[in-house]
Amino acid sequence: MPALSQLLLPTAWFAEAPAARQMPRTHDEDAKRRRFEADILPHLDAAFNLARWLTRDDAQAEDVVQTACLRALRFFDGFQGGNPRAWLLTIVRNSFYTWIGQRREQEQETSFDEEVHTAERAAGDPELELLRHADAELLRQAFAALPLAFREVMVLREVEGLSYKEIAAIAGVPIGTVMSRLARARRHLQAYLLAHGVGGRP
Amino acid sequence: MSCIGDGERREVQITAYLDDELDLTSAVELESHFEHCPACAGELAAQRALKQAIGAADLRYRPGPDQVRRLRRQLGGGQAPPAWRVGPRLRAIAALLLVAVGSWTLGRRWPARPQVPGAERSDGVAGDAGPDASPLAEQVLASHVRAQLAGHPEDVASSDRHTVKPWFGGHLDYSPPVIDLAAQGFPLRGGRLDYVGGRPVAALVYQAGNHLVSVFVWPADGPGVAPTVRTGASPTGAPAAGGVPPAGAAVASSRRGFQQLRWTQAGMAWWAVSDVAADRLDDLVRALRAELPPAGPR
Repeated sequence: MPALSQLLLPTAWFAEAPAARQMPRTHDEDAKRRRFEADILPHLDAAFNLARWLTRDDAQAEDVVQTACLRALRFFDGFQGGNPRAWLLTIVRNSFYTWIGQRREQEQETSFDEEVHTAERAAGDPELELLRHADAELLRQAFAALPLAFREVMVLREVEGLSYKEIAAIAGVPIGTVMSRLARARRHLQAYLLAHGVGGRP
Repeated sequence: MSCIGDGERREVQITAYLDDELDLTSAVELESHFEHCPACAGELAAQRALKQAIGAADLRYRPGPDQVRRLRRQLGGGQAPPAWRVGPRLRAIAALLLVAVGSWTLGRRWPARPQVPGAERSDGVAGDAGPDASPLAEQVLASHVRAQLAGHPEDVASSDRHTVKPWFGGHLDYSPPVIDLAAQGFPLRGGRLDYVGGRPVAALVYQAGNHLVSVFVWPADGPGVAPTVRTGASPTGAPAAGGVPPAGAAVASSRRGFQQLRWTQAGMAWWAVSDVAADRLDDLVRALRAELPPAGPR
């Protein structure tokens, strides 16, 4: 009977049970999985957050994270230390671009006209107050309205708190590009908040 | 407005400045620039206000409980065989069957195996995927990484233990055992001196495929070292505070992708560190331990 169970028991169904660790598996896989769980699992939330911001959809985010996790496990042998969160986020980002490319349905970016909106800059104290007190809901809308290239750097910076260097590595662009994208993203956000936050806001 | 034609560059600088990512020289220059440039001072105020709002808001999206469960299962379980994706009904039937078989089998096995996960390994290596709580773990890892980064893994490069051992003898107040493991697939590359736990210690360097392994050795009862492992002289193990493992047993841990194994043997505290796969490090340690006098009283 134990022999049969060894043949049949797939680890996936028992992954959450402590018993899963007793599951017969090769030493190699076992060690790899233990390492994977310890290094990568804590960053599942970060992976979902990035995927959710990129896809702007709950179910699609889960799809992307699932794909990314499978890839991460497959390529885990190639991960030699470093920041496991940044490593996972890189894979999430790549998985997203693969996914969106496959769908052949380029996201309809609601990239608003920079010429028009950048005219709206905070000029006085009322505007500054408005920016300062923008609530989470309005900020989420503003973030979601950012063009993809700006949105991803903003999320990595402001939500994940990653350094410019880490963001550059994840997005595969020079640090200077990260800086200018962040600056332009903040200009977009300011414009959005000033355009949509007027009236009814403290 | 001193910034006409230069606003773009200043704006980027201000962004980096607020993110603490601007180099010091530029930051000092920018700060003095604010004093006579209302445009940039205004931009600073606006960006700061925005950053303040973002900082106060929780913008993180979190997966729902169901999503977490699905994702964790996938992460923890690895690649499910394709057969498991055939359909929900088959999956449900199979799952029920397997739960029944599995719980019965495990129920039989469980009482006989109360050890920690991984303890079924016959080499006495106690599995532990988490980071080692010992303060020395960080020092040992730092030493290993530093030596690799500096491109100077060994002070004395020799595969001949008759060269390495006397070299240590001239630099340390103890004589560490030096063993070549070339026959077992882990050639000795040499040795180096390090400073761990407040004293100079020996580090043996082995090659494991494309990876290097540092094996630190110091007297297990040495003063000032205070490792959490002690000589396993007492048959009872005499565990002290700090999660002291049983006599002779090796404790495995992982830390930022590096594997560590520590144990006591031959009157010495041993600590192996590497970024090699955990099972390879296990192999090396097993080979090394086989060459050393057995654990226990000297």
